Amino acid sequence: MLILSGLVWLPSLGALVVALWPGAHARSLALGIAGLNLLLTILVLEHFDPGLAGMQISEQWAWIDALDLTYHLGIDGLSLPLVILNSCLGCIAIYSSDREIPRPRLYYPLLLSLMGFVAGAFLAQNLLLFFLFYELELIPLYLLIAIWGGERRGYAAMKFLIYTAVSGVLVLAAFLGLAWLSGTGSFTYAVLLKHPLPLAAQLVLLSLLLVGFGIKIPLVPFHTWLPDAHVEASTPVSVLLAGVLLKLGTYGLMRFGWGLFGDAWRVVAPGLALWAVVGVLYGSLTAIAQTDMKKMVAYSSIGHMGYILLALAAATPVSLIGTVFQMVSHGLISAQLFLLVGVVYQKTGTRDLGVLRGLLNPERGLPIVGSLMVLGVMASAGIPGMAGFVSEFLVFRGSIAQFPWQTILCILGTGLTSVYFLLLINRAFFGRLPQNWGVLPESTWSERIPALILGLIIVILGVQPGLLVHWSEATLVLPPAALSTLSSFSPWL
Amino acid sequence: MVVMAQFLLHGSWWIPLYGVLGACLALPWSLGLIRRSGPRPAAYINLLATVLAVVHGSIVFRTTWSQEPQYLVFHWLRAADLDLSFVLDISSVSTGAMELVTILSLLAQVFALGYLEKDWGMARFFSLMGFFEGAMSGLALSDSLLLSYALLEILTLSTYLLVGFWYAQPMVVTAARDAFLTKRIGDVLLLMGVISLGTLAGSFNFPDLYEWAETAQLPPIVTALLGLALIAGPTGKCAQVPLHLWLDEAMEGPNPASILRNSVVVACGAYVLIKLQPVLVIFPVASTTLTVLGTLTAVGACLVAMAQIDIKRALAHSTSAYLGLVFIAIGSQWTGFALLLLFAHALAKALLFMSVGAVIYTTNTQTLTEMGGLGRRMPATTIAFLVGSIGLEGVLPLGGFWALHLGLNDFWGSAPWLVGVVLLVNCLTALNLTRVFRLVFLGDPQVKTRRAPEVGWPMAVPMVSLTVLTLTGPLVLSSLNLLPAWQDLGWQMTGLLIGSGLLGCLLGSLVVLTRTWSRPVQWTWKFLQDLLAYDFYVDRLYRLTVVAAVGSLSRLTSWLDRQVLDGVVNLMALVSLGGGESLRYTSSGQSQFYLLTILLGVGLLGLGVLWYW
Amino acid sequence: MAVTRSKTRTLLDQLVERLQAGEALLPDTPENLEEVVGILQSYGVVLDAYYRNLLDIAERQFLVLFPFFKYFDGHVTLERLLKHWWHDRINYEYAEYTLRTMMWHGGGGLETYLESEQFIALAHLAIAQKIRLNPGMRLLEGLFPDFLLEQVRQAVYYHVLGQFWQVMSPLFLTLAEAYERGEVRSIPEVVDHVKAGLVAAASQPLVYQVTLDGATYDIIPASAGLTFLADAAIPYVEAIFFRGTPFFGVVSYNAQLQEISNDPSRFTYGALYADPVTTGGAGIPPTLLMQDMRHYLPPYLRQRYLSQTRGEADLRVKICISFQKSMFCVTTATILGLLPYPLDTANPEQRQANHLHLRQWVYRLQDSQVLTWQWV
Repeated sequence: MLILSGLVWLPSLGALVVALWPGAHARSLALGIAGLNLLLTILVLEHFDPGLAGMQISEQWAWIDALDLTYHLGIDGLSLPLVILNSCLGCIAIYSSDREIPRPRLYYPLLLSLMGFVAGAFLAQNLLLFFLFYELELIPLYLLIAIWGGERRGYAAMKFLIYTAVSGVLVLAAFLGLAWLSGTGSFTYAVLLKHPLPLAAQLVLLSLLLVGFGIKIPLVPFHTWLPDAHVEASTPVSVLLAGVLLKLGTYGLMRFGWGLFGDAWRVVAPGLALWAVVGVLYGSLTAIAQTDMKKMVAYSSIGHMGYILLALAAATPVSLIGTVFQMVSHGLISAQLFLLVGVVYQKTGTRDLGVLRGLLNPERGLPIVGSLMVLGVMASAGIPGMAGFVSEFLVFRGSIAQFPWQTILCILGTGLTSVYFLLLINRAFFGRLPQNWGVLPESTWSERIPALILGLIIVILGVQPGLLVHWSEATLVLPPAALSTLSSFSPWL
Repeated sequence: MVVMAQFLLHGSWWIPLYGVLGACLALPWSLGLIRRSGPRPAAYINLLATVLAVVHGSIVFRTTWSQEPQYLVFHWLRAADLDLSFVLDISSVSTGAMELVTILSLLAQVFALGYLEKDWGMARFFSLMGFFEGAMSGLALSDSLLLSYALLEILTLSTYLLVGFWYAQPMVVTAARDAFLTKRIGDVLLLMGVISLGTLAGSFNFPDLYEWAETAQLPPIVTALLGLALIAGPTGKCAQVPLHLWLDEAMEGPNPASILRNSVVVACGAYVLIKLQPVLVIFPVASTTLTVLGTLTAVGACLVAMAQIDIKRALAHSTSAYLGLVFIAIGSQWTGFALLLLFAHALAKALLFMSVGAVIYTTNTQTLTEMGGLGRRMPATTIAFLVGSIGLEGVLPLGGFWALHLGLNDFWGSAPWLVGVVLLVNCLTALNLTRVFRLVFLGDPQVKTRRAPEVGWPMAVPMVSLTVLTLTGPLVLSSLNLLPAWQDLGWQMTGLLIGSGLLGCLLGSLVVLTRTWSRPVQWTWKFLQDLLAYDFYVDRLYRLTVVAAVGSLSRLTSWLDRQVLDGVVNLMALVSLGGGESLRYTSSGQSQFYLLTILLGVGLLGLGVLWYW
Repeated sequence: MAVTRSKTRTLLDQLVERLQAGEALLPDTPENLEEVVGILQSYGVVLDAYYRNLLDIAERQFLVLFPFFKYFDGHVTLERLLKHWWHDRINYEYAEYTLRTMMWHGGGGLETYLESEQFIALAHLAIAQKIRLNPGMRLLEGLFPDFLLEQVRQAVYYHVLGQFWQVMSPLFLTLAEAYERGEVRSIPEVVDHVKAGLVAAASQPLVYQVTLDGATYDIIPASAGLTFLADAAIPYVEAIFFRGTPFFGVVSYNAQLQEISNDPSRFTYGALYADPVTTGGAGIPPTLLMQDMRHYLPPYLRQRYLSQTRGEADLRVKICISFQKSMFCVTTATILGLLPYPLDTANPEQRQANHLHLRQWVYRLQDSQVLTWQWV
């Protein structure tokens, strides 16, 4: 059974089917495929043994021996939650796409292939294979922004493309250097784990990776593509971009940066922690000054990625669990916020906080959207009972022993988060709905349900975080170098 | 019977959940999904849930009275070497506190049934009250710092939503915002303290923390900062200087919520402090700060309260003042005094706020200078205000007297100046309440108080019940042997206490009351009055400092982001691609060309490197 | 709505001219007519329930301190109780809110009467009878001598508002019948119908008696000389249409802000001024009335609402808008009914007096919703 390959190829090949299928069924077909993909993910979950620390369910074929490019997929407690997130948000993105979207036979295939490629990147066990997926995923995303985006979509898409292409080059350079300097010429993750480099070499390659993935995450000052991309992207694309694609950066940094350059990591960790503080405070402060709801959520993402960097820098078992939790909870929360902002924009025609007012009005406003928005921003601000609190708590608790001051300053960032999100709620949803606005269209259940589902998951994970931690714990508690010997290679399940 | 009681005892963790469950069951109405019929079923569901909590709680309370404390442990999350467990402490003190919360919540909810009878948002209100009650009763039971912290945060959220209940009203919008942010400042600082303390001590549970505190050796700077962080959360929650402004503003919220907020919600912060007290001992800075903040607040808030012309705000500031005394008590390690004062204050203040609610409901105004002459026509309300006042002051042997007396007793030998503070607060509170009583209930009716029929039973019954509870509270306490015998009181202290209270009442009855909002002619008086009426202009101070700082910093980073960082990036693009301008105004045909170039470039680069291999 | 002051003044002057020409405040369009007649029909049904309940409470729940079943008009069955608990019922709270507002603002001869020795003596007779077997109440009465007296005054307002609506309810229902028969074809005709009804009832006496232990006690005897138009209708229009009380949901009661005037006669929180878009929200009492009317909409109006804007979802706002329109018709009727001289008088002095009267009323409507409807 090739379930991991299924996760990659079902959506990617499904995309072809949708593109070629005659008639106007693109949306339902795409939904069907995304649904199947979700079922497949559940199947993976079924086969996954949370007690094992290393890679599981390996699937491996030789591909281009000369380059040591093998088709090697595997899954562990780090990739599993991200793969699930990808499958869930993929479904939600397709479901929440505009039913009347132009060129559906191009749009839905692009979304599907995006899902497939991202899954490939999360599962790849060969560095070149990872790189391949990492680059491939750019094409659908670029097109999704460039074709279905807002007014300045061309600019935003271009900016996104250039940035992430630079990111790709840097990552590739680091990978090539690693294979070369390690003397193995191998791109296999498990092999490279066993051949640590001298510190100086590690430092050079790690800095390449840091900038490379730093662009993707994005870390300040490499972030300026993100607000533009979000503002111009349509809602489903924003959902995927914030929910899953940014996680490729943090995932890459964790898997390859921290995983392969352990010694150098310890050297630069204090700097990274400082960087995290800058990111958190910078993102949060900039978010306060935004008047575009979508930009505000985008800058909040930049701030929240800082927590992940802090936890990665500390690299204690608790902080690493916090990292994964934060990736998932940020994915869910930002996806929910982008969905809701999308609904507000669609109904009111604006995202300007200087204009919006009184949307909680039960008769002519968007009361349920507003209630869900309150839930989302409170989760993002780290109010207990929701997923955001658990992840932030784990991050801070895990990091404070290593980096007390940096952690304290990051906690300050959660305070700032509540400032800007409260401004958002107060301005857009509180107050009196102006009498002369005319009548806004009502939000429909099909628009509310995706955000509602995400809200439920956010609360469930907030109350029962064990449901998520359970899957990752074994992987993250042991350092990766120790894992390589433990890994069980079972190509066929 | 015993088996049943034990079963209920072990199920004590259900009590906080009743409220939450009620809140969830009421969601179809709160969210407006049920439109054809009205929102009252939501209210009844929540009332029922609260009744359940009261009954269950009282059985547990009776059971615990004769028993050693029991602990219920819930493992919430195990991550690596971290075992986050929630411990519930089922003792007579904690279940007693929980009973107080649930009973006051029940009374406030019945009161709300009348006060909000014409409010179509009733369902949302009751949902929030259920949530509120759940968080507070959980806090009463919690024996884990982490759980207590989490519940304090949830209280912050529910305060925000309750104050923001009338979300369309402009002042409510700012009030809710300020309430949330002020409390959140305290909470964030507390989170820093909680995480640091938990890491240092290796556990978040209070018994472990106590044990750790006995042997802990910390550098002085850490001690100082940690101590301050730990008291910051309660400072915000208890509306103490400098995080006190929100309580005044929160008076924009519906009155039934104010009943709870001024009695038990503010007490929650102090309760956590009492729980933390054995740990705070090792932070001398924290104890000193508590005493200083408490004193500042107690005296300052008493003065401010006297200058208020809004009936709710005149009482809200007195809440800050009493919590200031509680802070002093905790700072000087007299937790018995703190608990007794919290209990007495909660009952009396809840009663005062019910009375005030009835007044507002009847007169359609909150302005003291527009009132008068209600006494002859509103017996339940008048008696409630009188009993509430006496319950708060140390004049007649009701709750306030016993609590303040205990305070005097505690401070008598150790800190005479604190005796002075207690007496001053008693005197000024008596003065203020007498002033308010005269303005509202005595004198001639004015245009807005001309027709003032007493409120109906949904408001009158909780008011009368709480009047009875306030009157009988000391009897219950003395039957539990919690109060000293009469002969042990000591005439000096008793005399001073009653004397200060009577002095306050006397001054309050002599002071000249103007029922027009006229201003003193002499500029010093004018200045003084404004200074107090506007709360020492602290809000302006905040606006000029913290708010301005965050605001300008955020504008600075935003400018930096757009102009500098983005500018540099675009410049780099201009240099590297030789066509930044075309990048900015690119058309889709050109960008596809770029896409190809880049992909080709990356591919070629990769191939080149591999070739070289 | 950036309307300059001078533009508002011209509009108001136009309204005065319109009234003088025998037209109504509300523009006469077929849509407005359908809305007004339809909404008044459902209002009539709701008022019918309100007034019966008010009269019942005043007469049979006199000085009952725990009127648990006061909204049941004496018929307590399990089925009604369950429906009541499910809140599937008329919101009588709104009627009580209205009477309390009316009482709070006072006005008319009723206010004077309630302060008179005659009333106090009559009320004490009834009180003494009611509490004669209740020592607790007698003690309370001794300590708080005005307590029960004030409750009696409240009961008086229950009864007076009940009597007022007893007239208005059939008036609105007959209007709907006339409309269906094709006898009412324009807004001015609606106004005429209402005006005729008010004038017909104008001198009807207001009386209030309670029966305690088989004996009848006068609270308002006919000799007090209180009449329908002067002592119920006009104070009602003044208190409910114009002044109202500030809604918690939109106005801050904070004393220091002084947002609410200390003089109730300057209040503009009444039905003619309220922002209909806030209907349905928290702290907006008229939502209760709109909710009650939604159940009794005539089919044609329901159809219309369902096809407009958000259909069922913002029904209460639409009802509120129509209701305000209809209340402007009632206001027009009242204003015209109170004209010092006949509208079509030829005497220039009388015309001038009429003009002043109209101008005075219309200028009070400066900030009301009346101008909103004029753009349409």
